[in-house]
Amino acid sequence: MPCGEYFTSYGSRMGLFRWRIQRIALVLGLPIPFLAPLAVQGGLLSTITQIYIFAIAVLGLNVILGYAGEIVLAQGAFMAIGAYATTQILADGLAGVQIGLLPAIMIGGVLAAFVAIMFGIPSFRVKGFYIAISTLALQFISEWFFNNGQFEWLHGGTQQAVPAEVGLIGQWFTITGSDMQLYFISLVLMLLFALISLNLSRSGMGKVFRAIHDNDLSAAVLGVNVFRNKLLAFGIGGFMIGVAGGLFGYYIGFISPSYFTLELTLQHYVMLLFGGLGRVWGALLGVGIVTAIQEFLDRFLQSVAANATSLEPVFFGVIIIVVLAVEPKGLLAALGQLKDYLRKWPFAY
Amino acid sequence: MVDASTFLSISIAGIGLGALYALVAMGFSLIYKVTGVLNFAQGQLALLGAYGVVIFATPTVLGLNLPAVVAVLATIVGGLLLGIILERVVFRHFIGEPVLSVIIVTLALGGIITGLLRFLVGPNFMSYPAALNPGWSIDLPLGTSIGASFTLGVVLSLVVVVSLMLFFRYTVTGSILRAAAADEQAAMVLGVSIERTIIIAWALSIAITSIGGILLAMASGGAGFTIEAVGIIIFAAVVFGGLDSIPGAFLGALVVGLLQEYGSFYATDVIGPGAGEILPMVFLLVVILVKPRGLFGTERIERI
Repeated sequence: MPCGEYFTSYGSRMGLFRWRIQRIALVLGLPIPFLAPLAVQGGLLSTITQIYIFAIAVLGLNVILGYAGEIVLAQGAFMAIGAYATTQILADGLAGVQIGLLPAIMIGGVLAAFVAIMFGIPSFRVKGFYIAISTLALQFISEWFFNNGQFEWLHGGTQQAVPAEVGLIGQWFTITGSDMQLYFISLVLMLLFALISLNLSRSGMGKVFRAIHDNDLSAAVLGVNVFRNKLLAFGIGGFMIGVAGGLFGYYIGFISPSYFTLELTLQHYVMLLFGGLGRVWGALLGVGIVTAIQEFLDRFLQSVAANATSLEPVFFGVIIIVVLAVEPKGLLAALGQLKDYLRKWPFAY
Repeated sequence: MVDASTFLSISIAGIGLGALYALVAMGFSLIYKVTGVLNFAQGQLALLGAYGVVIFATPTVLGLNLPAVVAVLATIVGGLLLGIILERVVFRHFIGEPVLSVIIVTLALGGIITGLLRFLVGPNFMSYPAALNPGWSIDLPLGTSIGASFTLGVVLSLVVVVSLMLFFRYTVTGSILRAAAADEQAAMVLGVSIERTIIIAWALSIAITSIGGILLAMASGGAGFTIEAVGIIIFAAVVFGGLDSIPGAFLGALVVGLLQEYGSFYATDVIGPGAGEILPMVFLLVVILVKPRGLFGTERIERI
């Protein structure tokens, strides 16, 4: 038995499924989410749908924060842009033509990407903290904008109901927004974006992003166009977050600025950091676990006292601080260390 | 519409508001200058200061019913203690960690403070005891006047900025803080206890921020969760003034206070309610695009 795991070619090193056990896990594991609706219904199914939708948003955040290393605090704003754009297009059609749910969500994503790129422009001169506050300013501006009745001609009203009965593409494949349909749409989109993220991190583009993350000055010296690649990361990430926003709006069926606040941003940060920054599986794991904790905590706190739900951010704040202090690379890295320890046991090397 | 008297009274209100912001902004700059931590919880710390008085002076939370002055003093002392505790428990673990971790930790801290306050005090507006709602005001020319809390704010923030500058320049502790800020390792080699300097910086910063929070609450007659917004507004001030410059933070805060008052008076008709809060944000974005180092900020040179 070899004393370690080795790759003999670049292709096998960079493969999506590198070991036989991963292929087996794929074959056995992939049908589970598709068959899950047979076993669970109602509230739980709806919660899992929300996990898928948030997973898309957190994957988008992962592209900007985990790959390119820019701190973006406008998660709520990007999702709001996607949600309001999608609702507008679903309600009024694009130039009078009903284009259906998926194209509407994509257009919402493109709009969010556009705004993300606009607010990424300062990264031409500054980074880190300055990007964090300019996007934080975007978050506040967007909350003000969507609450402001004077801009109704642009965002179509502060609180809107999202049409439930729409065509998936154009006017074909009409769906009614039932739990089951939402579940499968979210699942497919989530898998699609997870695959895109995985491939992005394996491709040259992802490596360039990582180079910028590790040391932007060195990357620039080595001939990477830092500014352009940062904007690219903003665009890709913003698109994914916008898509998640549009889907989230359709999932709730009613949009209001109170869904898209700074708290949502913090929640997504908890998910990403808990799971593991810069890792697709970490992001997915983080969203799943944190949402489960949140559901449990909500029920627990409500049983304790009526106003105890306001303690929820306290728990998440503590989780974030502890995770960052103990294992800044997140749960996935901790699992990796555990695996390493078990593999070498009983020796320490 | 633009007549001298209105303009003057708006300007005075702006300077008064700016002076209140200046206290919070100086708390931010102080911490950044000494420890390099970018504190995103500044708004929540000001909020904590504002609610501290409520907690100590009214029997809603602790069952205490201290006189107003004692409550204010207790809040400020509480701020000093909180600074020490926060440094010991939280920020010590993050010395030398990447900017991202520190920013997220302060954001999480903000969430913790807001959540706790919402749980303990409730989401409602809590009015201050009568002793902290002084009705007097100082008459100024052209029929304008400046309210009590704004006057106190201007005086106090001037006192704080001057005494901080003197403290940094002429006292031993101040020069130790400056030394620690300039080069941590060199200062350590010369026998400076970095841990103690950082604790001093945190305690001072949170105490100043608490004073700012109390005065902000006094300006509106009591504590409400809207004070939280000051956390983002002061970013406009500190970025404009230069992140690590305390006089810069003071000046920047005055500019931002003026902008907010002008915005809410002249621009509300054009772009709707809340224009006063949005104008500083737009200003912040412009400053970041045009002059990210601000007026007095030192430019850091990066090496590979």
